[in-house]
Amino acid sequence: MDRSINLRVQSLFMSPAALVAVGIVLPPLCYVLFTSFQGDAGPLSAYIAILESNLFRQTLTTTLVVASLSSVLSLVLGYIVALHLAKQSPNRRTALMFLILLPFWTSILVKCFAFTIILGRYGIINNLLRWASGIDVQLPLVLNRVGLLVGMTNFLVPLVVLPVLASLLAIDSALYRAASVMGAKPARIFWTVTVPLSVPGVVAGLLSVFVMSLGAFVIPALLGGPKDQMLSNLVDFYNREVLDWPKASSISVILLILASIFIVPMALWRRRRI
Amino acid sequence: MRINNAPSGEAISLRGISKAFGSVTVLKATELTVKKSEFLTLLGPSGSGKTTLLNLIAGAIAPSSGEILLSGRNITRLPPRDRGIGMVFQSYALMPHMTVFENVAYPLRARREPSETIRRKVLDALDRVGLKGFEDRKPRQLSGGQQQRVGIARCIVYSPDIIMMDEPLGALDKNLREQMQTEIKRLHHELGTTIIYVTHDQEEALNMSDRICLMKTGEIAQLGTPDELYFRPNSRFVAEFIGESNLLLGKITAVNRVSIDGAGLVHVPSSERALGSEVLVMVRPEKMQVSAAQADTLAGHNWLHGTVEGISFIGGMTRITVKTVQGVSVTAKLVSGPASTRPELGSEVKLSWSPAESVVLSA
Repeated sequence: MDRSINLRVQSLFMSPAALVAVGIVLPPLCYVLFTSFQGDAGPLSAYIAILESNLFRQTLTTTLVVASLSSVLSLVLGYIVALHLAKQSPNRRTALMFLILLPFWTSILVKCFAFTIILGRYGIINNLLRWASGIDVQLPLVLNRVGLLVGMTNFLVPLVVLPVLASLLAIDSALYRAASVMGAKPARIFWTVTVPLSVPGVVAGLLSVFVMSLGAFVIPALLGGPKDQMLSNLVDFYNREVLDWPKASSISVILLILASIFIVPMALWRRRRI
Repeated sequence: MRINNAPSGEAISLRGISKAFGSVTVLKATELTVKKSEFLTLLGPSGSGKTTLLNLIAGAIAPSSGEILLSGRNITRLPPRDRGIGMVFQSYALMPHMTVFENVAYPLRARREPSETIRRKVLDALDRVGLKGFEDRKPRQLSGGQQQRVGIARCIVYSPDIIMMDEPLGALDKNLREQMQTEIKRLHHELGTTIIYVTHDQEEALNMSDRICLMKTGEIAQLGTPDELYFRPNSRFVAEFIGESNLLLGKITAVNRVSIDGAGLVHVPSSERALGSEVLVMVRPEKMQVSAAQADTLAGHNWLHGTVEGISFIGGMTRITVKTVQGVSVTAKLVSGPASTRPELGSEVKLSWSPAESVVLSA
């Protein structure tokens, strides 16, 4: 009874946002779905052609590898940042959070160009190494897998920090006191208390970061090399270079299904926890 | 057996221990020795320094001065994990992601004991606290009382030199609290572990302790057995904090006589206070007898005349407030009888008590 009223009120408040989202997202999505079945040789021809093409298979592999690697890298870096933040006083934490979110509010294009300056052949890092070693160092740091991962990780870290920090702050500090009185050393406390109790944040962070990186477009285009192009770039390729819209649409649909495979279990898992 | 070179019978000894945060002193230089197998309670209002004292012993905070000796070894600068102390928390502080078995096994795993020993010790500890068969439950599947039993099992499982309990029953309701008090007493009796118990509940302290250390604004107000604190308080603070008390202001006129302001002379136990010094005569309400105004007074008893101002029937006891002729309110607690046997509101009564039941305190 109480719950149903609550639900009605909730849906009332959520309806404007939901209507806008549905109105803006759903029609183009339906159009994409429709187009993907408009192949030259029958409704499924675009899908068959795409699934049989080597280019698609390679790009799919690249996408999955890059998404996994950048998710894991941003998890490791983000976890360390979150650990540090959790130990600060609330005021200091707010200030540091601002610094972490600052790059998040910066245009992704600007950040990518900044990285080409930092990582380039005559960029800051190579110049610094050249100056320090006296040898003409020209490490290939950009327009390849390294540059792509740096850019992706930089973009994703804040997204890991937030959920992990929330999990860490939810741990009762008496547990740490109890563990240390019972004779546990810091490393044991970390592995037996901190890590298991931050799993909800880690899973939430990891999945959202992975799904975000599946759809990466600007970063691989600007910081990756020709072999580092991802599915979104392939959609762009079929869309603007080849002008084969059914194929572009079918890749989009496949990408959407791929993302859903990861998002749906996460949504269900969260719901179970609430 | 552990080899022990401590002065026999000394579990923990605090020597001039003090704590200041900046310019605020929360614990003045304190001397305190807890005997082996003793149940010592740190009692006091909030802000009295009892929790500070506990945290100093546990190693959660470092003292500003002084030393802490545990079974003769200096642990002042040791981190908590090397002190070999057990601690029971008010919030239980059980690991929510571990089963009851793993929670109790935690300190043994930290000590890298073989898994067979762990299994035996854990099951034994759970048996002792009455939680046999609960090994595979998670803490959230247990009631508050059961969770605290796990908290206690987790301590006794590694036989620490002392176990500290920080208001362990504070989150439980009254009935359960009394039941758990009995159980903790039984465990203490069976295991003979030294226990330092923190509470602000004086009844809990009186019921459980061998000795009570009553704290007030960062220092010890009185240290003694429950009997000593109740029957021979050394100050007004102790008399008012433990139990109920009537305090009558007066002046010493003879070794064993006090002139209560406006109420004449009363007999008190002999003291060596200077004549004319201001004192308080304390009488516990249950030592006051109430009789009809015209009744004879027992030989040697002190008495006061007054009017019944309030009667409250609270079960086993009935509390009667009497306003004396001089305007002082005095409370008497009587074993309850039916309403017909109680004095009537507004009636004249005589309060009397034996001089031996009164204590003279500095005003």
